[in-house]
Amino acid sequence: TQSANMLLRKIVTSSVLPFAARHGMKKDLFPLSRTLSLSLCLKQDKSCEPSEKLDLDAWKKVMKSGLQEEVSETVSEPKELSSLAAARETLEVWRLAGRLVPENISEEQLKTFMECPSKSAKKKYLKYLHLKELYKKNDKRKMEEKRERKLKEEEETPKTDETSNKSPFLCLWSKTMDKAYSWRAAQSMIFGQPLVFDMSYEKEMSFREVSNTVKQLVLSESSNRRSVDPFHIHFCNFEDDSLYHREFIKHYREAWGKLLITVTDQCYTEVFPKDKLIYLTADSPKVMKTFDHNKIYIVGSVVDKSIKKGLSLARAKRLGLETAALPLDNYLLWNVGAKNLTLDQMMHILLTLKDTADWKKALEFVPKRKYCGFVNKPVSELKKTLDLINTLKFGKRQEEVQKQFRKSYSKKYKLK
Amino acid sequence: VQPPEKPLQAEEWNRLRENFRSPEIFEEVMLNSMIRCNSPIDVAKSLLTHVAKCNGDIAYRTLVKYLTLCVQQRQVSEIRDVYHIMKGKFKVLESGAYNLLIKGLSDSDEWRMALTLLEEAKKIMIPSRTSYEFCIKAASRHQEMKLAFELYREMLAKEVVPTLDVLQSFFDFSRGLKGAELQKELFGILLYLREKQIYPHETFMQSIKLWFESIPGGNWKGHLTNIKDSGKCPVCKHQLEDSDLTEEEYSILSERIIRDVIHGTDTFRKTSPQEFEAFQTFVENRLPFDIVIDGLNVSHINAKKMQCENLLEAVNCLAKENVRVLVLGRRHMLSNSSNWKREIMNEMQNKAHFFFAENISEDDPFLLYATLRSGKHCKFVTRDFLRDHKACLSDTLTRHLFRKWQRGHQICYSVFSQQPALRYDCVVQTTGDTWHIPYKDVFEEKYSYQVPRKWLCIQQK
Repeated sequence: TQSANMLLRKIVTSSVLPFAARHGMKKDLFPLSRTLSLSLCLKQDKSCEPSEKLDLDAWKKVMKSGLQEEVSETVSEPKELSSLAAARETLEVWRLAGRLVPENISEEQLKTFMECPSKSAKKKYLKYLHLKELYKKNDKRKMEEKRERKLKEEEETPKTDETSNKSPFLCLWSKTMDKAYSWRAAQSMIFGQPLVFDMSYEKEMSFREVSNTVKQLVLSESSNRRSVDPFHIHFCNFEDDSLYHREFIKHYREAWGKLLITVTDQCYTEVFPKDKLIYLTADSPKVMKTFDHNKIYIVGSVVDKSIKKGLSLARAKRLGLETAALPLDNYLLWNVGAKNLTLDQMMHILLTLKDTADWKKALEFVPKRKYCGFVNKPVSELKKTLDLINTLKFGKRQEEVQKQFRKSYSKKYKLK
Repeated sequence: VQPPEKPLQAEEWNRLRENFRSPEIFEEVMLNSMIRCNSPIDVAKSLLTHVAKCNGDIAYRTLVKYLTLCVQQRQVSEIRDVYHIMKGKFKVLESGAYNLLIKGLSDSDEWRMALTLLEEAKKIMIPSRTSYEFCIKAASRHQEMKLAFELYREMLAKEVVPTLDVLQSFFDFSRGLKGAELQKELFGILLYLREKQIYPHETFMQSIKLWFESIPGGNWKGHLTNIKDSGKCPVCKHQLEDSDLTEEEYSILSERIIRDVIHGTDTFRKTSPQEFEAFQTFVENRLPFDIVIDGLNVSHINAKKMQCENLLEAVNCLAKENVRVLVLGRRHMLSNSSNWKREIMNEMQNKAHFFFAENISEDDPFLLYATLRSGKHCKFVTRDFLRDHKACLSDTLTRHLFRKWQRGHQICYSVFSQQPALRYDCVVQTTGDTWHIPYKDVFEEKYSYQVPRKWLCIQQK
C-alpha cells in the first residue's frame, strides 16, 4: 500500500504529466499514471489546490549562506600551509569522501603516510590505521559493557557470607602460577632442550613484518613458559638496538631484562656443535620423521608477506646445516595457503611433539582453514570432500583441483 | 531502493527515509540508485534541498554523489555550481571530486576550466591518468594540439602511464593537419610504443593508418599484412629488424642476469657459490653451444612416456651434426630410477654435453647464463615462460631487453611441433620512409609471451 500511496501522491501534485513527458521517465508507469491522474483529477477537481512550489535550488542557498561567515574567518588565516598540515587537510577530505581513513592520526603516522612511495601504498597504510583504530574502539566498548554488566550483577546478587565462599588460595593464584612457571623456565635454562630462533632476517623485512615477528615471538615465549617441560629458548644473531630489540622492549618493557631465555649476538653455529643443529624450513627437501630430543632445532624469526622463497634454506645451505620440513603432506590433506606457519604455531607443534611424539596431536595447531582433514581415513574419501568443498567454493575448477592433488600425493596414493 | 520519478516534498522524503531500514545512510543509498537509474536531476535536487533544510548542511560525500549524477547527464552549469559550493566549504578537494569535475567540464564549452582544475589538483597530488586523458582530449578536440602534447609530456614526466585511448585520440584529432612539428610529435608516440613494446589494437591501428594517409603531401600508403618467419614484408619487400641485441645491450643483459637472477640478494637461494663457479668453469671449457636444453622441462612433455625417453627424443631431434647441445639437469636424473634409466642417460651423454645441478638448486638461471655466454647465435629450449626470472630483473629497461632476447632465442618444444624462435623483432619499427607496426586483432590484452602476427605496413611513395 505504501507504493500505491506514493503513486497517488505523485499524481496529485500538479506538474506530473508535462514533467514526465519532458524527461521521458519510466515508460511502463506512464500509461497507468495517465489514466489514474485523469480520473483523480476529475474527482478531486475542486479540492485540488496547487501544491506548494518546490524550490529545487534551495540547497545551494543554504550551502552558500553558511559560507559567508566562514569566508570572513579564513581571510585572516595565513594561506600557505606546511606540508604536514596540508597532508592533514587531505586526509580530512578523504575521510569526508568516505574512504577508509583513521579519525585521529599522530604526527609520526602522518610522516610515515607522506613517505609512502605510491598512491596505493598510502591507501593501504591508511586502511591499516583505520582498522587498528576500529578494533581499539570496539575493544574499549566491549570492556565497558563488561564492566557495566559486572557492576549490575554485583548489585543484584545480595552479598551473602563472603568469608565461607572464598578460598584462601584464590587471591594468590596468579602470582603463584607465575612463580611456578618461572621455576620451570629456570629449570629449562639449565637442563632443557635448546630451541634456537634465528634473528638475522631484519634486513629482509619491512617494519610491519618485523613487528609482526616480534608479536609472534612474544606469543611463542609465553606458551613455552606455560608448558609442562619448556624449551630453553635462544635468540641467536640478536643485535642490540636493532629493530627487533626495540619492538621487544615495546612489548615487554622492564620484563625484557628478566625473561628466562638466552639472548646472544653470536650465531648458533658458535654456540652449539654444527652436527646437532637442524634448521626447520618449509623449503627443505627433507621431511622430518620424528622429533629428536638430542638435536637443536632452529626456527627462522621471519614473517614473509611477499614471496621470498628459499630465504631460510639459503641460510642453512651457507652454513652447511641439516634442514627439515614438517611432514604436513604426510599427515594432512592440504587445501589452501602457504606451508610456512607462524612462529607461535611452530612453537605449539614442537612443544607437543616433545611431550607426546604424536604427530596428529601436534599438527592440530596448523590452522584449520589450510587443510581439509587428516590422512587417516581412506584418501579417496577425503578427496571427495575436498572436491566437494572446492566445487562449492570455486564452481567448476575440478580439474585444477585434481591436478593439484596429483601433484602433492602422486607417489603415495592412487586416485580412482 | 527505487528512486522516485519526480521531485518530492520534504515530508514525502521524510516518509521514505523513515521506511528505509537504515535511515542514517538513506541519502547515499538513494543517490546511488539515482545514479544507477539515471534519474532526472530535479529529483536529486529536491533530495538535496530536503537534506539542506533538515541539517543546514550537506555532507561532502553526498555532494560528490550528486556531482556524479550531474556529470553523467552533462549538466555543465550545475557542475560549476557544485564546484563553487565545494570550493567555498572545503579547503581542499580530493581526487575523486577533481576527476569528476574535470570529466564533466572537459567535454563542454567550459573545457578550459577543466584545465584550470587540473592545475589546481596538481598542487595536492599527481592527477590520475583519466584526468589527464580528459584534458588532453578536450584540448585536441579544440585543435589545441600543442597544449595537448604539453600535457602528454607532463604526464610521462610524472610517470603516469597514458591509456591507449589517449594515444589513439592524438592520431584521430591530427588527421589532415599539416605541420612538421605535429608530425614529429606523432612519430614520437609511435616510438613510445616501440620503446615500451606495446602493440596497438585493431581500431588504434586504423587510426594510425588513416592519419598517415591523410598527411597533406605526405604520399603515405598503408597496407595490412602478415609477416612470415623469414621476416620479409610481403608488401614492400622490406626486411624487418632482426631480433639480435646490440653488443652493448647484450652485455648489459648478461651482466644483469648474473647479478639479479643468479645471485640476487643471496647466491645460496638459487644455487651456491661453489656450484656456480663449477658451472662457470664447465661452460667456459666447452663454449660455444648452439642449443641449450632445459632437461627437466622437456622431459615432462609427454606424460605417457618415461621422462628420459622424452628427453632422448628431444636431444635426437635437436642434436644434428655439428650442433653443440648442452642439457641442464639435476643430480637425481643420474640415480637410475623408474623414470631415469641409466642406459638411456648414457646414450644421451654421448650426443650432448650435460651439467647436473644439485637437487635443491634452480636450473633455469644456469640455462640463461649458458645461452647468453655462448653468444648471439645460441638458442634455448624450454616451455617455461621464464616470467619469475624476468621479475627478478631490477629495471624495466632490462626486462624489455630480456623479452626481446627471449622472443629471438627461445624455442618452444612440444610433442606436436617445434615453435622456432622469431628471426625478426616484433616491435614498431621504421626506416624513415617505411613504418611497420604489429597489432592485435582483438581488443583485450594478449598474454605477455604472445606476439601478434598481423602487421600494418606503411610506405612513402
